[in-house]
Amino acid sequence: MKFDMDYIAHHNELTESNPYFKLFLTIILLILTLALDNLYFDIFIFTVMSIVILAIAKINWRSYLKFLSIPMAFVVITCLFLIFFFGKGEVIYETGILGIVVTTDSLHYGVYTFFRVVGCLPLLGFLALTTPIAKILHCLATLKVPKIFIEIALLMYNSIFIFLNEIDTMQKAQETRLGYHSYWNSFRSLGALASTIFLRSLDKSETLQHSLDSRGYTGELPIYEPRKRE
Amino acid sequence: MHIMEGYLPLQWCIIWFVVAIIVVAFGIYQIKKIVDETPESKALLAVSGAFMFVLSSLKLPSVTGSCSHPCGNGLGAALFGPAVTAVLATIVLIFQALLLAHGGLTTLGANIVSMGIVGPLVAWLVYKGLTKAGISSTIAVFFAAFLGDLLTYVATSFQLAFAFPAPTFSAALTNFLVIFAVTQVPLAIGEGILTVIIWDRLKAYKPKLLDKLGALAPNEA
Repeated sequence: MKFDMDYIAHHNELTESNPYFKLFLTIILLILTLALDNLYFDIFIFTVMSIVILAIAKINWRSYLKFLSIPMAFVVITCLFLIFFFGKGEVIYETGILGIVVTTDSLHYGVYTFFRVVGCLPLLGFLALTTPIAKILHCLATLKVPKIFIEIALLMYNSIFIFLNEIDTMQKAQETRLGYHSYWNSFRSLGALASTIFLRSLDKSETLQHSLDSRGYTGELPIYEPRKRE
Repeated sequence: MHIMEGYLPLQWCIIWFVVAIIVVAFGIYQIKKIVDETPESKALLAVSGAFMFVLSSLKLPSVTGSCSHPCGNGLGAALFGPAVTAVLATIVLIFQALLLAHGGLTTLGANIVSMGIVGPLVAWLVYKGLTKAGISSTIAVFFAAFLGDLLTYVATSFQLAFAFPAPTFSAALTNFLVIFAVTQVPLAIGEGILTVIIWDRLKAYKPKLLDKLGALAPNEA
């Protein structure tokens, strides 16, 4: 499933730990990794954060690999691209095709960028896989991010999952009727799907407004903070 | 095309964050004004943002065979204007980073600038310009979505070329632009067609709403 990241964030050993600590740790380490731009430090961070994610948060290694795999595939491609098509300076290696060469400069770019991403990804993973979105938003609210921003984000987060269920149903219905059979058909089906979702979302927003109003909504969503289970 | 976590050096992360925060702050100010006037619009904004996020999780059939997703920025800009779309796109990008590992936290600023600011702004300008010139809103919305998408990639190429100016800035820029042109122009056309189909149905089913948002061409209202 696409959204198992959200599920994992709610079901791991670190879900209940202090979200401020996790948020600040992630941000500080991210800045540090970028600022140092040191290959050994990148690998060090990668190892430490992977251990934290796998051993302390007890996240299934398969889900963690899945989280890493797509960005990693991208970064390998783009860094190869950087190595072969950029840079000036001393030529290290000639491919012999179209005068494409690897230079000291381009190798430096490619390698450093690759390891920077390697260092940063587990940090993003640490925050994304252990902290539910609602908690992050609550943190941001106390850090003086405008209230309206947080509220729209919270309402959005709620509606996303409703839409995804609906899309799933609709797409299956279209598929069983050969809606994605040919190229032009898939465009038509996708357009129909998206516009129907938009029309539905308008109805939903009205319902949402009514339900908020009927519960005395004055432009603020108070959040219940459960006491920590120590 | 999101720039991924850790891809940009620190100084460029900071620069793009500063630019993004200024524009998004203005957008939040605008939203506040709208919500003060009509409190119901908050739910509409939230649900439209969710629509943008969900749209980006759909797969777009592409000519080249590679798969990508529509970003819905053109549609958002034509409906709500660029400032509001920038705020919605910011939230969408945060969610994409945290729920899908798509994009990242350090590159959030750069992604907001290319996808949430440049793209919608261009789309909005194109849309307003064409409808003012008396062209029907259906055709205008195609060009808005198409050019909005395209300029997003141009902006991303600029950002990458600034970060990796090797051997020279312009050479790097051409390199990135050529690659994006090959992979992204078909996608931009696809998004344009999709937006037209959506727009057509909106016009058929909710003409009053479009009129209220001031999103229709003057001769169609």
